[in-house]
Amino acid sequence: MLSYILRRFLLAIVTVWAITVLAFVIIQLPPGDFVTIYINALQSSGSPISYGQAEAMRAQYGLDQPMYIQYLKWMGMMLQGDFGMALAWNKPVKEIIGDRLTLTMVVSIAAILLTWTVALPIGIYSAVRQYSLGDYVFTFIGFIGIAVPNFMLALILMYVGYKYFNMSIGGLFSPQYAEAPWSLAKVLDLLQHLILPALILGLAGTAQLIRIMRANLLDELRKPYVVTARAKGLSETRVILKYPVRAALNPFASTIGYYFPYVVSGSIVVSLVLSLPTVGPLLLTALVAQDMFLAGTIVLMLGVMTVIGTFVSDLILMWIDPRIRMEG
Amino acid sequence: MAQRLIKTRREFFKVAAMAAGATALAACGAPPTAAPAPPPATTAPAAPPTAAPPTKAPAPTAAPTAAAAAPAPLGAQYIGKLEGYEIQVGAARPANLKEAPMLAELVKAGKLPPVEQRVPDEPCVTKPLREIGQYGGTWRRGFIGPADGENGNRMVSVDKWLFWDYTGTKIMPSLAKGWKVSEDGKTTTIYLRKGLKWSDGTPYTADDCLFWFEDLYSNPDLVPTPDRALAPGGKHGKMVKVDDLTIEFRFENPYWLFELVLAGDMLPGRGQATGQFASWYYGGYAPKHYLSQFLPKYKPQAELDAAAKAAGYTDWKARFQVLKDWERNPELPGVQPWKVVAGADITKSVWVIERNPYYWEVDTAGNQLPYIDKIQFTLAENVEVINLRAIAGEYDQQERHLDVQKLPVFIENQQKGNYTVHIDPGTNGGDANIYFNFSYEEDPEIRKWILNKDFRRALSLGIDREQIKEAFFLGLGTAGSPIPDPVMPEYPGDEWRTKWHTLDIAQANALLDKIGLDKKDAEGYRLRSDGKGRLRLEMDCTGSFLPYPKLAEMIVPQWKKIGIQLDIKNLERATLEANRNANKQQLMMWSNGGTELLYLYPIHALPVQVNSQVGPEIAKWYSTGGAQGMAPPDPDLKKCIELYDEAQTKNLEERNKIAQEIWKIYVDAVLAIGTVGLSPAFLGLRITSNKLGNIPARHVNAQHMRTPTSSRPTTIFFKS
Repeated sequence: MLSYILRRFLLAIVTVWAITVLAFVIIQLPPGDFVTIYINALQSSGSPISYGQAEAMRAQYGLDQPMYIQYLKWMGMMLQGDFGMALAWNKPVKEIIGDRLTLTMVVSIAAILLTWTVALPIGIYSAVRQYSLGDYVFTFIGFIGIAVPNFMLALILMYVGYKYFNMSIGGLFSPQYAEAPWSLAKVLDLLQHLILPALILGLAGTAQLIRIMRANLLDELRKPYVVTARAKGLSETRVILKYPVRAALNPFASTIGYYFPYVVSGSIVVSLVLSLPTVGPLLLTALVAQDMFLAGTIVLMLGVMTVIGTFVSDLILMWIDPRIRMEG
Repeated sequence: MAQRLIKTRREFFKVAAMAAGATALAACGAPPTAAPAPPPATTAPAAPPTAAPPTKAPAPTAAPTAAAAAPAPLGAQYIGKLEGYEIQVGAARPANLKEAPMLAELVKAGKLPPVEQRVPDEPCVTKPLREIGQYGGTWRRGFIGPADGENGNRMVSVDKWLFWDYTGTKIMPSLAKGWKVSEDGKTTTIYLRKGLKWSDGTPYTADDCLFWFEDLYSNPDLVPTPDRALAPGGKHGKMVKVDDLTIEFRFENPYWLFELVLAGDMLPGRGQATGQFASWYYGGYAPKHYLSQFLPKYKPQAELDAAAKAAGYTDWKARFQVLKDWERNPELPGVQPWKVVAGADITKSVWVIERNPYYWEVDTAGNQLPYIDKIQFTLAENVEVINLRAIAGEYDQQERHLDVQKLPVFIENQQKGNYTVHIDPGTNGGDANIYFNFSYEEDPEIRKWILNKDFRRALSLGIDREQIKEAFFLGLGTAGSPIPDPVMPEYPGDEWRTKWHTLDIAQANALLDKIGLDKKDAEGYRLRSDGKGRLRLEMDCTGSFLPYPKLAEMIVPQWKKIGIQLDIKNLERATLEANRNANKQQLMMWSNGGTELLYLYPIHALPVQVNSQVGPEIAKWYSTGGAQGMAPPDPDLKKCIELYDEAQTKNLEERNKIAQEIWKIYVDAVLAIGTVGLSPAFLGLRITSNKLGNIPARHVNAQHMRTPTSSRPTTIFFKS
């Protein structure tokens, strides 16, 4: 048992290291660098600059050195807990991500909670009442939920929200609260703005989970132990909730791992469409601007969260389902 | 069980992969969030200085005969009359000064000296467009993040020594009281306003200008290479303090262009906000009393480095870069009408700038400007959200990031959103020019044809511009060559709008046959003269600012009619630019914004600035004085560059004549093909809340007018 955990842990560290190399290489792949992009942007605003200035900026940001030296420098800084400066912001990366991380987690967790509270009961209902009218209705809605890309849903709901409910467009706060200290009014304002993103982000996952829950539970319901339980005179609710539902929850445990990176990044596309100040759009902006430190840190953070998440879900699975073997 | 488990996991991977794909897609199609900036093109001033601008269509002169019969395009009625503020040069300070209630309170509380002591003895007196306004209110706008600094810079661009009148054609004093160019053109004198103060109350003097010149601009740690705009004929000029309120720029060569450099959007005259934001150290002056304490010349470097490290920066330079940036440092003294509020700088999700109590402009009734207390920029993670919020009436005035192609939706929602739509066409002649790379070398056959004047003329004659204008510019704009608006003094004349720039397939075919491209393949395409099959031209496009790739696709079938195969390369912007800089481009489509003032912004017309698409290697040759790169291989292009050089030291009138001469050669030799210009494609859609007063029906939409500063934001106010 302990050696299993240790082995997984060591593997995780190697994986994280591989992620740092990959993250670094991928970000460097597009032509040009931060300075090229920056200069082009300024040039198009009518301020062309000279060769000398470009080189000076490269030297200032250390972009004139060979790639492996840049990588080693970056790693060295990371190990000391220094994630560098976000170039466009002119602020430490830590501060920028920190500003957005809490909100990202609020949005993501709200979406996950919504997904679970909606998906689990419906999934159970659909399995127990297989091929009933209700099952068909939920299946139909569920498939639409899977089929419609959620950025599209976001656009439509945002327009409907504005047109018929006079909701404000995008964002998580009204401007007067955005930079205000936390207060009851600010929390209420946040809750108001949270409905749309949570709904949109939650719905897609909901459809997915309903199908999984339904399929798993159907497998379990046909097993002999359920028949036995019924024969022993347990009430129907108790029969279903006590045993098969618990067994059917396994896939949920195994997917907990995938929620980890999601919780810290949020959905990039939906956040962008809805203009949510979360980590997702930050990553996109950083990648487009080739802001090495910012993009690298976020990609690394996502990688690490995935690794940790997988590790945790392995542990949970092992704990709730002893049938899983430990050679994995 | 185990099997099912794997299945579910796989499903999740699938979903993850799909999500990643969607992200990538969105990233490709996404608006250039990272590109700060203002439309490349932004463009030009506009409107006629004397005559009222056209009320029907943007540029009547150029409209071909067919247009007369066509119905007026949607949106034409939103092009208003050019109008604006008036600066009363030399007017005395009004007798009884008034101030905003929020400042009056501070004075009462003893936290601020009375208004008489804050406003200069010689203020800038401005007559607002329609009426004397009222104080108060917050002006709501949208921005897209810390790279969108120009959004704010362009609201406070009056912090330059010199600016323009509302027509954008006459230079006016702004932060400075006046200026004088010596008779030999070698000295330009700037006179500062008596009693002018920084936003912390410290007097602004010639020492602040000298501090900028000596300690920022001439400091190789901060500015490694001096600016060409301060070195006419390659000889660097210097700044000299004459007395506390007078400075002089002295040059070895006559430099008549310099007043234009100071008034236009060039580095030395940009003012503090635009000159010193982000990594810039230009602008002409800087608050010596504040910034000197952070420079090694005045403080031990070890001490500064230690302070920088403590604040999270690598060294004093990295920290100084933030300290001198008005968008990021609320403590920085400035002379802008509004200054950034602590805790609401540009890196936050709401960026707020608030009135400067020492601002130096008053209206004719003696009210210290600006009327509006605050400007609040709310963050949108993408430009679509800005457009939607604008339509919903969530902004009081916005032109930046608005998409003119959405005009019908903007018009439809005017009442509900309680705003008014204005269309402000630009004055640059080409919003979708086809550029030839005159230094292209990779394929000698293609190079040969690019350098052939008749070949270029034939290509130009093969374009149906009216079709492009209707499809991509909603009919707003002018079809023809890339020459500027008729109101610009560098305009060469009406006949040059259409010369070689009309649709004439017969003549195009005749020209191509004549120059030896008379052999065709089975599909009717012309063959290369070196026997290597079909002649194929490549055009690089990117979807920034206008849907250039789609626009270019429209030319493919048009050129098929003259037997020319055109391949469109739709590239991500960085790739396009890397291609261009590597001299691999054959043809490229882009705007020529700025070229209506040819000497200030030549990059999109002539290869005289680094990375010009007209010939990157020629640009290198030019900027290194012939040491590297390629001499201009085309005689007409060479002539244009020589004329451009010759004009540098000429006076205004001669300069304008030379510019007209350049444009004539340019059009006759088709150095770039114009399609549609003088359009509102860049910053040309403006919505203003009906609650605002002193809004011009039309303002100049131009790079040098720092649109929307051309509306004089300090005089805009909320009607109660």
